[in-house]
Amino acid sequence: MKTKSVTEKHCECKECNEKQYSEIANIIDLYKGKPGSLIQILHLAQEVYGFLPLDVQIYIADSLNIPLSEVSGVVTFYSFFSTKPRGRHTIRVCLGTACYVRGGKKIVEGLREKLGVDIGQTTPDGKFTFEVARCIGACGLAPAVMIDDVVYKQVNVNKLGAILSKYDE
Amino acid sequence: MKTINTISQLRDIKERYNKTLQKYDYRIYICSGAGCVSSNCAQVYDTFVNGIQNKGLAGKVKIYQTGCMGTCAVGPVVLVLPDRVFYTEIDEKKAQEIINTHIIGGRVIEEYTFYDHSLRKHVPKIDDIDFFKRQVKIALRNCGSIEFGDIEAYIASDGYFAIHSALSGLSPKDVVDIVKKSGLKGRGGAGFPTGVKWEAALNQSGDAKYIVCNADEGDPGAFMDRSIIEGDPHSVIEGMMIGGYAIGANMGYIYIRAEYPIAVERMTAALEEARGLGLLGKNIFGTDFSFDIEIRIGAGAFVCGEETSLMSSIEGNRGEPRQKPPFPFQSGLFGKPTIINNVETLANIPVIIFKGGEWYSGFGTEQSKGTKVFALAGNVVNTGIVEVPIGTPLGDIIFEIGGGTPGKKKFKSAQIGGPSGGCVTTKDLNVITDYEPLKELGAIMGSGGLIVMNEDTCMVDTARFFMDFIRDESCGKCTACRIGTKRMLEILERITRGEGKEGDVELLIELGETLSETAMCGLGQTAPNPVLSTIKYFRDEYDEHIRNKYCRAGVCSELFISPCENTCPANVNVPGYMSLIAAGRFIDAYNLVRQENPFPAVCGRICTRPCESKCRRGTVDEAVAICDLKRFVADYAIQNEKAYSHDIVFPKNGKSVAVLGAGASGLTCAYYLARIGYDVDVFEEHDTAGGVLCYGIPEYRLPKDVLAHEVLLVEQAGVKIHLNTEVGKDISFKDIKSKYDSIYIATGTQLPQKVNIPGEDLPGVIHGIRFLKKANTHAPMQIGCNVMVIGGGNTAIDSARTALRLGAKKVTVLYRRTTDAMPAYETEIREAVEEGIEIIELAAPVRFIAGKDGKVCKVECVKMRLGNFDASGRRRSVLIEDSNFVLDADMVIPAVSQHADFPFIGKDEIGITPWGTFVLKDDTQMTTMEGVFAGGDVTRGPDEVIRAIADGKKAAVSIDKYLGGKGKLNKGEFIDIPEISDNDEVVAHARFEQEVLDPETRKNNFDEVIKGYHKLNAMAEAMRCLHCERRQ
Repeated sequence: MKTKSVTEKHCECKECNEKQYSEIANIIDLYKGKPGSLIQILHLAQEVYGFLPLDVQIYIADSLNIPLSEVSGVVTFYSFFSTKPRGRHTIRVCLGTACYVRGGKKIVEGLREKLGVDIGQTTPDGKFTFEVARCIGACGLAPAVMIDDVVYKQVNVNKLGAILSKYDE
Repeated sequence: MKTINTISQLRDIKERYNKTLQKYDYRIYICSGAGCVSSNCAQVYDTFVNGIQNKGLAGKVKIYQTGCMGTCAVGPVVLVLPDRVFYTEIDEKKAQEIINTHIIGGRVIEEYTFYDHSLRKHVPKIDDIDFFKRQVKIALRNCGSIEFGDIEAYIASDGYFAIHSALSGLSPKDVVDIVKKSGLKGRGGAGFPTGVKWEAALNQSGDAKYIVCNADEGDPGAFMDRSIIEGDPHSVIEGMMIGGYAIGANMGYIYIRAEYPIAVERMTAALEEARGLGLLGKNIFGTDFSFDIEIRIGAGAFVCGEETSLMSSIEGNRGEPRQKPPFPFQSGLFGKPTIINNVETLANIPVIIFKGGEWYSGFGTEQSKGTKVFALAGNVVNTGIVEVPIGTPLGDIIFEIGGGTPGKKKFKSAQIGGPSGGCVTTKDLNVITDYEPLKELGAIMGSGGLIVMNEDTCMVDTARFFMDFIRDESCGKCTACRIGTKRMLEILERITRGEGKEGDVELLIELGETLSETAMCGLGQTAPNPVLSTIKYFRDEYDEHIRNKYCRAGVCSELFISPCENTCPANVNVPGYMSLIAAGRFIDAYNLVRQENPFPAVCGRICTRPCESKCRRGTVDEAVAICDLKRFVADYAIQNEKAYSHDIVFPKNGKSVAVLGAGASGLTCAYYLARIGYDVDVFEEHDTAGGVLCYGIPEYRLPKDVLAHEVLLVEQAGVKIHLNTEVGKDISFKDIKSKYDSIYIATGTQLPQKVNIPGEDLPGVIHGIRFLKKANTHAPMQIGCNVMVIGGGNTAIDSARTALRLGAKKVTVLYRRTTDAMPAYETEIREAVEEGIEIIELAAPVRFIAGKDGKVCKVECVKMRLGNFDASGRRRSVLIEDSNFVLDADMVIPAVSQHADFPFIGKDEIGITPWGTFVLKDDTQMTTMEGVFAGGDVTRGPDEVIRAIADGKKAAVSIDKYLGGKGKLNKGEFIDIPEISDNDEVVAHARFEQEVLDPETRKNNFDEVIKGYHKLNAMAEAMRCLHCERRQ
């Protein structure tokens, strides 16, 4: 496997990218000797980089001298690891029954339109990851939408604009 | 801090710590379990700390943060010692008040203390609270009562004494023997004897061994293990040390799931504390036993709770399970002998070593010793963590400790064991919570997650939910699980979408059995359990979804318009008529209701309104007044006399149907049949049509003229009612059978059930339905001064209120259970009490005593108490020996249900059930006699009017099909319903009220108690409808 050096990494911000890779290198050094530490390393690497794209996986595999398939296999097995960037904020539309019959689906449509992405995807500017949740237990507030830790109640399509603009940076 | 090497050092710390506790006037314990953390207990803690500081009381009052106290539904909770006062739902403001009023002022603020919903009062002292009284905390011994973040607090509770005694005086085999003697079984779910497992590892040779703590707790609904780690981390550490010593391991791993950052944080801190004092590391207590523990974090895979997957994950691999044998104790982590124990199992170990195996085996049952921690969640009042001796009846845990199901919703089932478990229904509530008895029911003990489900839960949807979860979490290694769970899920999803096919259930069973026999690990093997369990106990629900496309719980939204319409036995289009009322189109609303129910004025007054119990508006403020609004439009139509000019009746088809009984059911059937062209003759033995509506329901609830009007509309559809004609006397059943093409029997329940006690035949004792009939026909009757009614149903309450109006001075109702268990309609009970009627709960009559004149003058009664659960999920009432007492009564009205009798037909000619109702062959309502159908109370016992009406409608469809028709009813012209334009925010608003007569005015006459809606209030009330029928 060809080893790619840190400086060859492509990212929007080269400086940040370099910094992240060197942090990952430190993590690997710390845990290298411990048997079974791959998962620990991946957790910390994801914290640093935000997600675990193929390039990062290659880097980790090389540094630990294990096959890429092993690293990749572990990354794709566990739900905590993401190979795609996650947004800074996670939007979860509740599609539990109460919310569903109160128009939860309409809200999903509305968000699809406003964000320009589908369920499970992240907006190109990295702001929002769009997901659906099963039931967050706020049925009296249906239809409910959670953004990070905040539950928005009785949401309708008309209110989406105002809610999303709260996250303008 | 110095390294601890001797027992006396431990003792010193303990003594010192306990002495420090004494010096404080008050000790305030703030629960910092996960639930309270989410409820901002940190702010409460800060308020207390700062508040005490500001008042200069820091030297007299100490504030601690403890682990979970167990009452997770009412957090943040605070315990004040030494008073032992338990405060709940505390925020910063209340905290400040507690400082001022309780700590400084010395007065307990009772309104902020724990509220017991069953007793309906506050219970300030923690030792008096029922939730805690029945618990025996062994694994949770320190949880909630000591500071989790201070190792000295743990030592002061005899912490680390057990490992010391093990290292200083016991051999590894001795330790194993104590654990074996205790009878401790693995608490993770499998229930394997821990001592036996340890012994196997002890006897296994190897250069290195490991002990692993499984803190992966992935079951949805389980939060016991996290509470232990977050509340008493040292108990787990000590347990692992003892285990390590016993089996010969020097290294331990705690595998904590990634979703528990608080647990990771607190365990990390605890480990550092222990290391700092030399309690972990080399040469513990100066012996040659060295031991240390590392935390390994999961990464979001449920399967990693399975022991071989867990080990795989610790090794840094995909969490795929391995074949067993070899078992972990032979070849486990990194190929070495390994023991994996659950958190709760390990938390029990130190106290078992300290107090002895015999002590521990004193708790529990013959087969399973000790206690078990359960996590109560779902539709239960006291959500939280509880610990009870194994063998505690499940019903006790749910109802006595858990406080039962909140609100008026009935308990339906309890899911034990999460996605690997099964459900326990109302008929098995007395099952003891022990491994074998639960297994026999098709459930499992599991890790302790106990989810309570009420009547609004769809069991098919629940099975789908669990299967969805399992399919998502399946690791994919073995075909059986990878594909089996997916296929089972597809079938379940189809069923909940209304696309179920005949044979689906059989296929689910076949797939499930195959999956459990061939899957490689516990996840796959137990995956079918929730499905198979719900099929076993709720087969009807599956069949309803598949054959009738009906979801009785009102959950599978693709099967119905709205929950209200779905629950209505007659499927009235409720949201439709709400829209029409809101638009001011009252006649159209009336006609829309009449399409499905020909008695809107009657039902609008006396229906038990199952629709309102499902109304989603109830989750915002209060259910919409669906029934009262129906009455409004019906009354409006009666006044405006425009309603029935649009009725279209199909031309006659030359066939004839006889209906026996002109009650709600019979008239409904006749009405629909006449509209599609049948000649219908209704035979009624009384002189007025209406059945129970006429002879049973008092006029203050249903005036005669209202009933007469709706009967007239039925006649106007072409139905001929022959009054004063008794079948079997004035005309024989045989004649009817020969003259008519089909027959519908709806003769209701005529005969009262007897109480069967001495004196029932005394003058002055008259059964409920007979009494009501006399009252409703204005027959002359002597009313006593002191009337006692026996029973708790609508007939009893109707009798009581009627007796009052007929002149009784005092009316009492005697009921064997408690008021909230009375089947009578709630509003009726409330109005009766408002009118001055007294209800005596938990009492039953033993005999009626005659006076000198031979008439009844006293009733001897006995007190009852609530015993074990019966099949309906209610507690049986059991009489209390020697608790007899006597009450005066010069008139007694027993009203304890009715049964049917049909002398016009031979019992050998037609199928009769053991309880005297007709056997119905199938869904068509045909009896065992060809062409003869039956419906209403005569098939079911006394029941709701709306169900009788629904039966009549269904029978009309069946009769039409039987006689060669398509079974399509003539429901009148199409009524267009206005589009819902309201997309605004829902604003909470209580119900708009109708006018009701006040108790003083109404209690001595038969004027209608409820006067009805003002037009504007009706429109406003209709606008409260959330329109759950809206879709894309």
